Amino acid sequence: MKEVQEKISRTRSQLGDFSVPILPLLPQFPELPSLPYHRQKFLRMRLAIVGASLIFSPLGFAQSSAETNKPAGAAHPQDATVPLSHDLSGVWMQYKDGDVPGTPGMNGVNEHFRPPLTQWGKEKFESASALQGEKAVAGKEDNSALRCEPSGPPQVLILPNPWEIVQIPGRVLMFFEEQHIWREIWTDGRPLPKDPDPSWLGYSVGHWEGDTFVVETIGFNDKEWVDLYGNPRTSTTRLTERYRRLNRDTLEQQIIIEDPRAYTKPWVSPPKLHKLEPGWEIAEWFCVLDENKDYDQAVRKPAGVAPATK
Amino acid sequence: MRHQLKVSLGAFAALLAFSAFAFAQGNQASATKQPTAAGAATTEHLSHDLSGVWMQYDDGTAPGFARMNGVDDRRRPPLTPWGQAKFDAAKPLMGPRAVGGQEDSAALHCDPSGPPQLLILPNPWEIVQIPGRTFMFFEEYHIWRTIWTDGRPLPTDPDPSWLGTAVGHWEGDTFVVETVGFNDKVWADLSGNPRSEEMHLTERYRRLNHDTLEQQIIIDDPKSYTKTWVSPPKLHKLEPTWEIAEWFCASSELQTYDKDVRKPSGGATQPSK
Repeated sequence: MKEVQEKISRTRSQLGDFSVPILPLLPQFPELPSLPYHRQKFLRMRLAIVGASLIFSPLGFAQSSAETNKPAGAAHPQDATVPLSHDLSGVWMQYKDGDVPGTPGMNGVNEHFRPPLTQWGKEKFESASALQGEKAVAGKEDNSALRCEPSGPPQVLILPNPWEIVQIPGRVLMFFEEQHIWREIWTDGRPLPKDPDPSWLGYSVGHWEGDTFVVETIGFNDKEWVDLYGNPRTSTTRLTERYRRLNRDTLEQQIIIEDPRAYTKPWVSPPKLHKLEPGWEIAEWFCVLDENKDYDQAVRKPAGVAPATK
Repeated sequence: MRHQLKVSLGAFAALLAFSAFAFAQGNQASATKQPTAAGAATTEHLSHDLSGVWMQYDDGTAPGFARMNGVDDRRRPPLTPWGQAKFDAAKPLMGPRAVGGQEDSAALHCDPSGPPQLLILPNPWEIVQIPGRTFMFFEEYHIWRTIWTDGRPLPTDPDPSWLGTAVGHWEGDTFVVETVGFNDKVWADLSGNPRSEEMHLTERYRRLNHDTLEQQIIIDDPKSYTKTWVSPPKLHKLEPTWEIAEWFCASSELQTYDKDVRKPSGGATQPSK
């Protein structure tokens, strides 16, 4: 895989200006442990403690050369009574973290914490041609986004690209540089729909619980995964996101996936931190199938990577 | 025969305002106020609040069917040689040059649509205004665009893009949007008229009353057209209960649609390279 990555970089630089979306360099993930149940339970308990301690301790992220990589000083214990701001607006970018130095972990949905799959879930997972991870086969990677199919939650939430929150009365808007996608979260008090049609983005409502903005989404289709490994997303998936603005420059995001059809338990990933980027604006980036086909011919095929388009 | 009408825009707007309700009413159930005449409007202050979900009116050319004439090809100036070559090569989706079974359009490939084409398609769209920016959301392929109202100038040498870079400002009652930095991969309309990288697009918006938004599209593209292309203003109706629905163009769904619908009916299928 590393040789393929190098080939891609070399070919791309030879090609010059080629305005197609750049796939994130595919990181080499360590062998995923298949954790026995009691170990998972322990981890989940620890998660709650870790989550709480994140507020109070400085955060040790992989330091790159960027001096602003470290989140601004977290609150001291005696500031716990100061409420966190309900203003989530800004352009955000997830922090790189320790899994793969120099590459964002894309672990907002974290495989290390995935519960066991149901029988049905297993069949879906086995039949997916993963983009990353131990199941990925070089030359056979697949992901709906490679074919420019829309990227919806939670996949769009974990990809390492800038995204923006804008809050207006009755709605919270999220804009993603990824495929120029936007989504609406209704905060006007409406309930989740009872029987939504399946859609790429689902239907989202949001409300505040103290300092936490809680988003709930249902009504997904099953045409994309929850991640890049092939873990399924279905019409019965219920997604919960929890957001807290820890301080001016830091947004905490936690992703919780529930789908009894695919997963035997709720899948609770550790919170992920995002950095405010006050000087950034969401750039235009569309995934265009025709351009993808050209890119296949010019870059992917010579590099031995699976073409995106059939 | 082409009519090169040289009427002042003001007079034309007045004419249009009075004739607004000669439009096919269709099933517009809710009462709609008459847009006020342009003459009277200049003495009143029209609202700077453009927010809402809007839908263009059907107009008289094709009853019950939105004419999509926000860019009006009856008013198109002559093409340059470059423009003519692009026009001839295009396989339009509609109009007298369209050939059944051979239509092509960026949209059939799920390519993104951009202004001005994006502005003339008969689908709901929404304006949201916040400090420094105006957003437009289009049900068409779930596209959104940003218009910067923070006083920044247009970029001098933008990279070509599908949506261009847009800035906006107010001139009295009119919100004026200017966009540059387009690529040439989308037509200006559905008839195959070109959009080049040199296009400078101007849109002029006025909220004539609570329920009516007037939109005018002005195209300056010296690479494609020998003169400025000024289309008559088009009216849009406020739809207070509508919300933009999700509508993506996904190629996998297009392929299914080709197989199940287009091929059997003899329509053009999604072109494959």
